[in-house]
Amino acid sequence: MYESLVNFINKLIYVPDEGMVHPGLPAGWVAFIFLSMVVIALRYIFLSVKPGTGFKYPIINSFIKKIVTRPWLLVSLRLFAASIFLIVIYAGLFGTPIPEKNIATVLTWTIWWSGVVVSIFFVGSAWCAICPWDAVATWLVRQKLWKRASETSSLNLRVPKILRSVWPALIMFIGLTWLELGVGVTVSPYATALMALLMVVLATISLAVYERKAFCRYFCAVGRTIGAYSSIAPIALAPVNEQTCAECTTLECYKGSEEIEPCPTHLVMGRLTQNTYCTSCGACSMSCPHENVSWQLRGIGSEITQASRTTALRGRVDEAWFILGLVALTIFHGVTMMPYWESTIHKFAYSIGDSGQLLLSFSFGMLISMLIPIILFIVAIKLTQKLLSNREEYNRIFSSLALSILPLAFTYHIAHNLTHLVRESAGFWSVVFNPLGTNALPLSMGELHMRHMNPLIADNIVFALQGLLVIFGFWLALRIAKHRFLQITETNKVNLIAFMPMMLFISMISLMDLWLLMQPMVMRM
Amino acid sequence: MKIKKSVLLIVLASVFFVNQVFAHHVLGRPSYSLGEDSNTPPSMQVETQTGEYYITYMAFPAFPKPNQSGRVNLYASRIDNGQTFNGKVTFKVRDDSWFSSEEEILGTQEIDDGVYRQGFVFSKAGHYIVTAEFQAGGEPYTIDFPLRIGEPDSIGPIGIAVVIIIIVIVAVNITQRRRLQRLKAKQHHSDRV
Repeated sequence: MYESLVNFINKLIYVPDEGMVHPGLPAGWVAFIFLSMVVIALRYIFLSVKPGTGFKYPIINSFIKKIVTRPWLLVSLRLFAASIFLIVIYAGLFGTPIPEKNIATVLTWTIWWSGVVVSIFFVGSAWCAICPWDAVATWLVRQKLWKRASETSSLNLRVPKILRSVWPALIMFIGLTWLELGVGVTVSPYATALMALLMVVLATISLAVYERKAFCRYFCAVGRTIGAYSSIAPIALAPVNEQTCAECTTLECYKGSEEIEPCPTHLVMGRLTQNTYCTSCGACSMSCPHENVSWQLRGIGSEITQASRTTALRGRVDEAWFILGLVALTIFHGVTMMPYWESTIHKFAYSIGDSGQLLLSFSFGMLISMLIPIILFIVAIKLTQKLLSNREEYNRIFSSLALSILPLAFTYHIAHNLTHLVRESAGFWSVVFNPLGTNALPLSMGELHMRHMNPLIADNIVFALQGLLVIFGFWLALRIAKHRFLQITETNKVNLIAFMPMMLFISMISLMDLWLLMQPMVMRM
Repeated sequence: MKIKKSVLLIVLASVFFVNQVFAHHVLGRPSYSLGEDSNTPPSMQVETQTGEYYITYMAFPAFPKPNQSGRVNLYASRIDNGQTFNGKVTFKVRDDSWFSSEEEILGTQEIDDGVYRQGFVFSKAGHYIVTAEFQAGGEPYTIDFPLRIGEPDSIGPIGIAVVIIIIVIVAVNITQRRRLQRLKAKQHHSDRV
């Protein structure tokens, strides 16, 4: 039976006739992942989940305390990140246009964009704390390295109500994906530098016009992606002692102190129920007079599974759409790197008379690819609403259950990026020593083959990590979904029939992710 | 005819939009390659699809300098059956700057071993657009490709970003100072009353 399963899986793997591609998951691994998913699904159908106590472990040794309460490390890291960022802009504008020989493209797309998603798993939203877009904008507008600036440095206007959601970030994310995969910014150092400059300009304007850090809170696609993913990360900034926060009346974490800026995203540590908007900037930990804020280890996804019914049903629709957008866009990333994507788009373009870069055809493909998971999710939620006995409002179920698909986007995103990181970052040191690629030549076919054959990590380890990620994402998605059902229905037992549409949706997306990972992937550079 | 015109417009627009580009699997963006064990300079290649034809354009060398001779090769084959276009291709060139409209004809070439070859020598460094024009099936085809001569002059984007940032910061500062002055005056007035 196992052999016939493997044979069947092999038939699902597309082997391209030509071109250099990264290998996908072998059939043996796919069979193992599939069987694991079946076991997990059965476990969540037939066994109940317990709320649990929620594991929390504040990291409060003296070294960590020094790091989180003093600004020197953060400022040093910000200076370092900003310096690298300026080098990237300079190299992009003035360096070689050969993408694999210019630090702008290699560092931005192969190392940073692939690595930042992986980093969330280990350090939560820490990237936002040293983000060079915000750092450069802050230094320009506030004109202070880290201390609190005068009120006059910004107009401090309230963000218009229409923009006070994560819709702008989602639109920006869709736009960035279009630029990345359609226009091909990833293979253009010049366009990469232009994009970096644009981000600094946007962050600066936002900081100069709106109060606190509206760019990070509402507009930044990268920040909101990190924020969404970090809500399931096993590490976050949190109060060491909740009672201390409960008794606090001065709220320095929210208002700031004489020297330290207030929370850039309007959070009060003592009332923090979700970590999504925390940028890990450390303002709260530095301003807290009780030194009561520190990094905390916690159960993966516990922020969602431990939520109360009120919190579960208070989820915002825009945040739910952002998560759905993440699921759709991560799948789309995978689809565009399939060997047959290009030929399909060419054929479609020919049939409609599209020309040039085929952006019209690409945009249409992107729209369809994004619509499919969105429509399926809406159908699943509609069915759930019908099957639930207490008939909650549609938007409440939609926003509450959207969190259960977040692990699918997160784990697939990491699994997909692992391939880029491991197989395409081989030339990193050559661009470190020659960031502008002065007198550099493109890779010869021999060099390309060498890079292709020598990934940073052995193939089997990459396959194992990807397999575990898919299994883990599926498990966590079902776990969160089941907890959300308990929170919505306020019962101890999940209505299995009502649970089925979500279970099917999660299974479909996981199988799609698995299918994408088993296909060969086109090399980016 | 209307459709063809719009097709040509899209080609032109897309090439203008990304006039400094490169690619492996993104159509219409230049990519740079080097043959295995080759000691020749790298070549720049752009692939694009327009109307009935799949076009490949190659420039040798990839980064030509002023007064250095180079050439462009153009391959055109039908998308439906792969048949090579057999006719004449006219190559034109113009400066890719905002205020330049001067166009110069580089030459008209006939097919030679499946390729249309056009030589060039530029005396000034800068960004240029090479246009290839041909007629096939009664329809005109116009395809633009970018060509950079010499070192890039990329002060433009940095200059624009710096100017925008300075304008915003100065405007915010002036507005806030005026607001503060108004507030002070108001306070002073109410103190006196």
